[in-house]
Amino acid sequence: MPENNQATTTSSSGSIRRSSTRRPRKKKKNMIPFGVGLFVLIVLIGILLGQNNATVGLFWIFGVSFGFTLQKARFCFTASMRDPYLTGGTSLTRAVIIAFALTTIGFTAIKYGAYVKGLPIPGMSYVVPISAATVIGAFMFGIGMVIAGGCASGTLMRNGEGFMMQWLVLIFFIAGSLWGAHDFGWWKELFIANGPRVFLPDVFGWAGALALQLLVLAGLFIFATKYEQKKSA
Amino acid sequence: MAKEVVIDSLGEACPVPLVKAQNAIKEMEVGDVLILQIDHSCAMKNVPEWARKDGHNVEVEEVDDGEWEVIIEKC
Repeated sequence: MPENNQATTTSSSGSIRRSSTRRPRKKKKNMIPFGVGLFVLIVLIGILLGQNNATVGLFWIFGVSFGFTLQKARFCFTASMRDPYLTGGTSLTRAVIIAFALTTIGFTAIKYGAYVKGLPIPGMSYVVPISAATVIGAFMFGIGMVIAGGCASGTLMRNGEGFMMQWLVLIFFIAGSLWGAHDFGWWKELFIANGPRVFLPDVFGWAGALALQLLVLAGLFIFATKYEQKKSA
Repeated sequence: MAKEVVIDSLGEACPVPLVKAQNAIKEMEVGDVLILQIDHSCAMKNVPEWARKDGHNVEVEEVDDGEWEVIIEKC
């Protein structure tokens, strides 16, 4: 499209004309001492936790790393589901699909490794019966997360950022989870236990299950790319 | 002269600043400047992304700890 013939053109900083409605800049406190102090504190806590129980120390490191990555990348599951409708952008949706694909490969590797050695496969308790409850629950969660402005990981990340609205969300997140856990036995008996429990490698074989999942994810990825192109045309 | 529209979205959560910006841009003419004040870091990412995709000029300025102004010039 032709560049606007007025004086401003695109460039990196400070070129867009604006009138004098600038707020006076407040002097910013230097945050680097805080940053270094916090880093030292994180390492110390990690060492402390790791002394009693190495796994907990590892969890601490993973948790902090995940949080850091999430925050810097502004990764957001909520936005991945909401943006295609709101702005037509699917970049986060595709990021989530890539994350799923990597996780699939990783977990298949772990589980298959255990299977081949004859060890019990870790995580089989997560193969739960599938039923309409999953669909309904997911739908409700979707509505909730868009209104709340974040799902589990996003809320925790924003809590750390100091976003006070998310502190309120966290309180209800905990309350809701507790209530759900309290009644989960009832829900499970009545609605969930009747569904089929499918462990994909049992049905398609290990390679088949991996290939099928990756194919579905690839298909979704291509669909998301085409969707964004169509919407921005 | 180019009009300047200032939208104060401080304290508003994810979709709201973006939706406000979208509606405002629709009513503006080419060359007008929209200044969106936000303090939500999600919006700091997805507003410029949307605006650039639509072909506008975008700048982001951090005016305070955790507060940004997104300056969009409609193209």
